[in-house]
Amino acid sequence: MTVEVLNIIDLSFAYKKNEEIFSNINFSLNEGEILGILGPSGTGKSSLLRLITGLEKPSKGEIYYYGKEISGKNNFILPSKRGIGLVLQEKVLFPHLNALENVKFGIKGSKKEKEEKALSFLRLLKAEKFSKSFPNSLSGGEQQRVAIARTLAPEPKLVLLDEPFSSLDKDLRAELREETKELFRKTNTSCIIVTHDFEDVEALCDKVIKLEKGKIKNLPLSS
Amino acid sequence: MFVFNNFLHNLWKLTPVVIICIFISPIIFVLASLFGDFNNNWNHLIDYVLPSYVSNSLILILGVSILSLILGVGTAWFTTNFDFFGKSWLEWAIILPLAIPPYILAYTFTGLFDSYGSANEIIRSLFGLKSDFIFFPNVRNIFGAIVVFSFTLYPYVYLTTRMAFLNQSRSLMEAGKLLGNSNRLLFFKLAIPLVRPAIIAGLALVIMETLSDFGAVDHFAIQTFTTGIFRTWYGMYDLNTAMQLSSFLLIFVAIFIFIERSERRKMSYSYSSSTFKKTASIKLEGSKNFFAFLFCFFPLFIGFILPVIELINWAIFFPSENFLSNNLISTLFNTIILGFTAGILCTIFALVINFLKRFDKGWFLGFFSQFLTLGYALPGIILAIGIIKFFSFLDSSLINTFLKLTLLGSLIGLMLAYVIKAYALASNTIESGFQRINSSIDDISLSLKKTKFEIFLKIHMPLMKTSILTSLLLVISEVIKELPATLILRPFNFDTLAVTTYIYASEERMYEAASPAIMIVLIGLIPIIFLSKIIRDSRPGA
Repeated sequence: MTVEVLNIIDLSFAYKKNEEIFSNINFSLNEGEILGILGPSGTGKSSLLRLITGLEKPSKGEIYYYGKEISGKNNFILPSKRGIGLVLQEKVLFPHLNALENVKFGIKGSKKEKEEKALSFLRLLKAEKFSKSFPNSLSGGEQQRVAIARTLAPEPKLVLLDEPFSSLDKDLRAELREETKELFRKTNTSCIIVTHDFEDVEALCDKVIKLEKGKIKNLPLSS
Repeated sequence: MFVFNNFLHNLWKLTPVVIICIFISPIIFVLASLFGDFNNNWNHLIDYVLPSYVSNSLILILGVSILSLILGVGTAWFTTNFDFFGKSWLEWAIILPLAIPPYILAYTFTGLFDSYGSANEIIRSLFGLKSDFIFFPNVRNIFGAIVVFSFTLYPYVYLTTRMAFLNQSRSLMEAGKLLGNSNRLLFFKLAIPLVRPAIIAGLALVIMETLSDFGAVDHFAIQTFTTGIFRTWYGMYDLNTAMQLSSFLLIFVAIFIFIERSERRKMSYSYSSSTFKKTASIKLEGSKNFFAFLFCFFPLFIGFILPVIELINWAIFFPSENFLSNNLISTLFNTIILGFTAGILCTIFALVINFLKRFDKGWFLGFFSQFLTLGYALPGIILAIGIIKFFSFLDSSLINTFLKLTLLGSLIGLMLAYVIKAYALASNTIESGFQRINSSIDDISLSLKKTKFEIFLKIHMPLMKTSILTSLLLVISEVIKELPATLILRPFNFDTLAVTTYIYASEERMYEAASPAIMIVLIGLIPIIFLSKIIRDSRPGA
């Protein structure tokens, strides 16, 4: 039976009054699915992710997460209560914590449990060998591996990726893309990936939508 | 339920409003005096002394501005554009005079240059001159005050201008040269106009400090607004007229706050980003090398080395006030306790307000945070008068009735004055600390189910250790130097280093004043050394 993870209904967003970034957007995502969002810069792809995580409030519309309203006219669940994972393009590891401590940051449990779980996720992302290194001594690719491990370690049901591979070189992109996809499949994690790159969409996604001029358009993957 | 939750969620936004109400109340009490009656004392002031308050203040401002500009802009220009003997240490040592409050330089100046001061004694003994021969002119006048203020305050102009020069791209100057301009023309036609907002911002700080000063002008017996306010109150026992006079000084200061703020906003136009090329230093040789060294060393010598030598001379060779005397130790203890408490309070307020501002994108918190920093420009004497009036009102109407407490004459008033005056130092430091932390780090932490409070404790606090320490040190050093507010608001028999120095100096007991003055300078040096380190590391593109 398919379980609906995310349902977005008539969602509109504006940073300033009467200057809507997008309006009346509708789409949904099922468990284990990977959705790609394509679109030119400035169309509000990242804003859409911020609305889903609760970092911004919509000007109109509702967001349902596993059937429960998390953003709407009469309800707003704080981002810290939603448990939706987020990976950004920029390297935003906590600079004062080493790789292992970064991954442990979002995990609940005893000290030992946190340590073991963090190490297992670093291992999954082939980042175990630099678990004691601090972010400033890691390369771009290594930092992004740790960032993905950190997001997945608390085992969120939904992960949002905002151009996660765009700052990496071509070979590293392909490698990390494959590993991330495998990890999502293994953990049955649903995912939305915002990207400029159609290769990302082809390699990772089950379905794809395009955000352009404030509206959503469904695209067949073959296009 | 949602509406109620929303209300609770927004309740924290009231914190800055409560703080601002407390901050602003003393000023409202001072300004309210303008709407009351003007009595006979006011007429007396207008007829006899107000014109001299205004003219002296204007002469002081003009003189200090010209001299500070020459010293501040000149030293900034040399240290940014040229390599000369001693530059590596002079570029940070130039700001050391900031550790000397103007009143301490005024005391050492009179000790040095009075008829029987050390400087004249040295000249007489060197050249075998008669004991009534006076070489150095009298410094106890407005010109002496101009020198004192300029040599202690020019580092404000140096700091803002140097930063602007450092951010000036070499390409601009090269373009100017290709258009056939000489170095001298380039300085006046291009370099200076480009950094004009930075110069004016620094100069406005110098003027505000000059207008706020009480200790130095009082020592030189110059009639200015601050000494006038003090005399009207303590000499004529007329608090109302003192407040009316304060209101006019406040309006005067407000003009400079406005200028400083608007010029600071324009400062960004001297920054160029993508085309930035670091200014290459030109190596100076021979007489030019010596002149550049002398130009940068002279203000440091007059503003820091000379007074420190004189103070050490007084303290060591005429030790009438022992460093380890009970009296001085208890005064030092009082001062440090006050400094630390104010430092902790200001830093906590700054952390709370700037943290709330980080998560709130609206205008509300940004505006109020900016508003609270205006306290820095308020003359201590006005704050003291406002707080006395505010606390008398509270004592008579609320506190005494309900809590059986008396605020007037307690340390609370003094602490309030310190927090209002020093909050800007804490806020600016903490704000820049927060700005250095990428806001995406907060987004990621929230998505990892961390509350804002957890983010504050586990991410922001560890990353802002240096900012917190700097904020603490800056506030402590400001509080330790603060004289007029302390003099007026301190509880009976409660002395601080600044008050002790002032009392000894006003009784012409300079040797006794030396030990507490040295302590003020030593404590004031700590944040200056921190600041110097920042200057050493502040070359963009380096």
